[in-house]
Amino acid sequence: MDISLNKEDLAFEKEVEDFLAEHLPRGHEMWTKRAEWFAALKEKGWDVINWSKEFGGPDWSPTQHYIWDKVSCREVLPPVMPFGQVMLAPVLMKYANKEQQERFLPDIRDNKVMWCQGYSEPGAGSDLASLKCKAELTDDGKHYIINGTKIWTTMGHVANWIFCLTRTSSDGPKQEGITFLLFDMKSPGVEVKPIYTLGGSHHVNQVFFTDVKVPVENRIGDEGKGWTYAKGLLQHERKGIAGISRSVYALEKLKEKAQRVPVGDSRLIDDAGFKKKIAVAEIELLALEFTELRSLADMVNSGSPGSQSSILKLKGTEMQQTIHELTLEAGGIYATPWGNKKFGPKFSKGGMEMYLNGRPATIYGGCSEVQKDVIAKRVLGL
Amino acid sequence: MDFNLSEEQTLLKDSVEKFISANYDLNDRRKLAQTSLGYSEDFWKQYADLGWLGLPFSESEGGFGGDLIDTMIMMEQLGKGLILEPYYASVILAGAALRNGGTAEQKDKLIGGIVSGEIKATVAYAEEQARFNLNDVATTAEKSGDGYVISGTKSVVANAETADFIIVAARTSGDRADAKGITLFLVDTKSEGVSLANYPTVDALRASEVTFANVQVSASDVMGELDNGLGLLEEIRDEAILALCAEAVGGMDLLYQDTVEYCKQREQFGHALSDFQTLKHRFSEMFIEAEQCRSLLYRATLEKNNGSSEARKLIHALKYKVGKAGRFIGQGAVQSHGGMGVTEELRIGHYFIRLAVIDSMFGNFDYHLDQYTELMTIPEDKGEEDSMPFM
Ligand SMILES: Cc1cc2nc3c(=O)[nH]c(=O)nc-3n(C[C@H](O)[C@H](O)[C@H](O)COP(=O)(O)OP(=O)(O)OC[C@H]3O[C@@H](n4cnc5c(N)ncnc54)[C@H](O)[C@@H]3O)c2cc1C
Ligand SMILES: Cc1cc2nc3c(=O)[nH]c(=O)nc-3n(C[C@H](O)[C@H](O)[C@H](O)COP(=O)(O)OP(=O)(O)OC[C@H]3O[C@@H](n4cnc5c(N)ncnc54)[C@H](O)[C@@H]3O)c2cc1C
Repeated sequence: MDISLNKEDLAFEKEVEDFLAEHLPRGHEMWTKRAEWFAALKEKGWDVINWSKEFGGPDWSPTQHYIWDKVSCREVLPPVMPFGQVMLAPVLMKYANKEQQERFLPDIRDNKVMWCQGYSEPGAGSDLASLKCKAELTDDGKHYIINGTKIWTTMGHVANWIFCLTRTSSDGPKQEGITFLLFDMKSPGVEVKPIYTLGGSHHVNQVFFTDVKVPVENRIGDEGKGWTYAKGLLQHERKGIAGISRSVYALEKLKEKAQRVPVGDSRLIDDAGFKKKIAVAEIELLALEFTELRSLADMVNSGSPGSQSSILKLKGTEMQQTIHELTLEAGGIYATPWGNKKFGPKFSKGGMEMYLNGRPATIYGGCSEVQKDVIAKRVLGL
Repeated sequence: MDFNLSEEQTLLKDSVEKFISANYDLNDRRKLAQTSLGYSEDFWKQYADLGWLGLPFSESEGGFGGDLIDTMIMMEQLGKGLILEPYYASVILAGAALRNGGTAEQKDKLIGGIVSGEIKATVAYAEEQARFNLNDVATTAEKSGDGYVISGTKSVVANAETADFIIVAARTSGDRADAKGITLFLVDTKSEGVSLANYPTVDALRASEVTFANVQVSASDVMGELDNGLGLLEEIRDEAILALCAEAVGGMDLLYQDTVEYCKQREQFGHALSDFQTLKHRFSEMFIEAEQCRSLLYRATLEKNNGSSEARKLIHALKYKVGKAGRFIGQGAVQSHGGMGVTEELRIGHYFIRLAVIDSMFGNFDYHLDQYTELMTIPEDKGEEDSMPFM
């Protein structure tokens, strides 16, 4: 048993730190120097780290990915929407034909096209395979005609394209007869209606399709096999959600902030009850970091993550929510003025926004209850 | 980076597993616990022959040069067997005292015998008024001529009845709860003035209240530094906690595994109990808690083995987590077995008990959470604006 990184990995860690120190725009420049940052990443070959080498990825080992996460989570990187690069691209690389790969991947890589994910429907949430949005092939076999609706479509109101699961057949098991289609959100018959989430934010939408015409060339893989392609994609989604390194960092930040919150002549960080709650969260994260490492080591040594990996999404999102709650508590009465940046202890946003926006983490990407079912089935054999 | 066992460690693990499955089924254990000795001298001899009693001692001291990871592997397997022999008292507790604080003479006198199984020892640290505080030592050792005279009573001393030597914490100076002024002494159990009130503990092991009435010891019986024994006690505690938690983690695995198996067989309401989602989810949570404990066990053991300054903090974290999760897993197992869960017939009940006992040793989960909280690092506040909009 040995947890130390080898020489090459240590050198890589240093390389990542140096790269960030040199190129990462900080503070306000995060917005004004975005383009330079993405150019530097591309120049270094680190712009699409989750892509295979063939398509321009850096071909990192699992350990290198881990190091990147660990180092970069201590910084705020200019955000990239995950839908194209993280979620769709791996499916295209694996299942799309050459023509489709050449058509779509370069624009995803350069953030030129913004994608959204059309999976969930009003009647198909956790039980995604029961989706109904219908795609019918025209008589000449050149187009699909789409009718139906998708819901919770994040960024659907600004996205250029959508990758969409549609039903082409209702015979047989519900997992069969699902077809994976890509189309332009400006196609005639696409209508986007906003959904406002707690606190009034507009990120998600309901999208309606009325006779939307999609060329067959936009179908990924075979008709009726979309479920297989989507399942692989969901794994990529889940991997990103646990965010354990980031939670460790966020808890450190919370300890800093809690020194700024006055409790009479004392500080919140000196409040025994509050401090103990931070300690409980920290201990859980100490364990979870090692659970992640154990899973990583299994990945490196045997090519597949061990049974511990099933814990990561479930516990990782729970820990995020724990930290959100603690941050909310730390804000006290100043967590309530909405969008607060000005008043009370120096918190730009208080914890309320985190608290509200953080709830979906245990709902999407496979809700916590389904994760427990998965553990019971795969690990415990039930 | 690698969490696999070495070839030697795998051999060690397999040999303990083999011994347990051949010798420690629940009925044999029950009978053994009811004998007057409460364990098997024959097994003890076999432990010696297999090299287990010498595991943590260095080769130059006559041992087998294992490290804390080897001990962890050993204890996890012994924990699955719920063994009755005084391995914990003699090899873990007294072993830690000797290795970390013993003089050359004391090591010479004891380690060879411990390794061969001819000598047994234990450590007496707890007192009635002290609860979990190692500083709180009312037992006194007063200077008398060249030596000391020890007086006082020690609580729930593991396997004192069969120990040839008791290593005892006594106060040589200062007030009752002072950190300074504690000294450890090596006392021959046969010394005049040592008396024992023996009893079984609820987990079928043995312990004693040990009274020292003007027990004479010499200056050469001082173990570690005079007046600075607290540091040594804390070392002993650290190693003991790692061993106990390894044992606990072994038991936790069996608790959830046995429970799943039982509920797969047991039908009620026309279904196997394991079909009910509430139970599936309980089992998943039991599995998760056990894995989280294992992760912390590895982390704390590896850090301690590397001599890291973070080790003590991690050991507090571990003891807290194992105590908390031990309750959850043990109670979940009993609950899911219904009436059968509260009988002596299934092994889960015995692990359930053992986990509750382990939580009480060297401080329960509340105590260790307090200790952890006190040691927790608070980073300097750089006064930065909140910079994590995407958390
Ligand atoms: C902020 C946000 C953004 C999203 N973005 C997208 C997006 O971009 N594209 C997209 O396609 N989808 C998106 N989703 C949808 C997301 O994938 C679904 O919300 C998720 O699949 C859950 O489905 P549901 O909301 O219909 O909940 P339901 O499936 O109705 O479940 C409700 C609750 O029931 C419980 N439950 C469910 N199943 C079980 C079970 N088997 N056993 C026990 N309990 C169970 C859980 O507590 C669950 O939270 C988004 C959702 C949110 C909240
Ligand atoms: C100390 C003691 C004294 C008793 N005294 C008497 C007595 O004097 N007379 C008498 O007739 N009986 C007596 N009983 C029996 C008692 O009524 C039963 O133990 C009880 O009905 C539960 O049945 P069971 O033990 O077979 O557990 P099971 O029915 O096998 O259930 C085991 C566990 O499975 C879970 N479970 C069960 N059903 C469900 C479900 N539908 N969904 C989800 N989870 C479920 C629960 O966690 C439950 O604890 C006694 C029991 C005990 C422990």
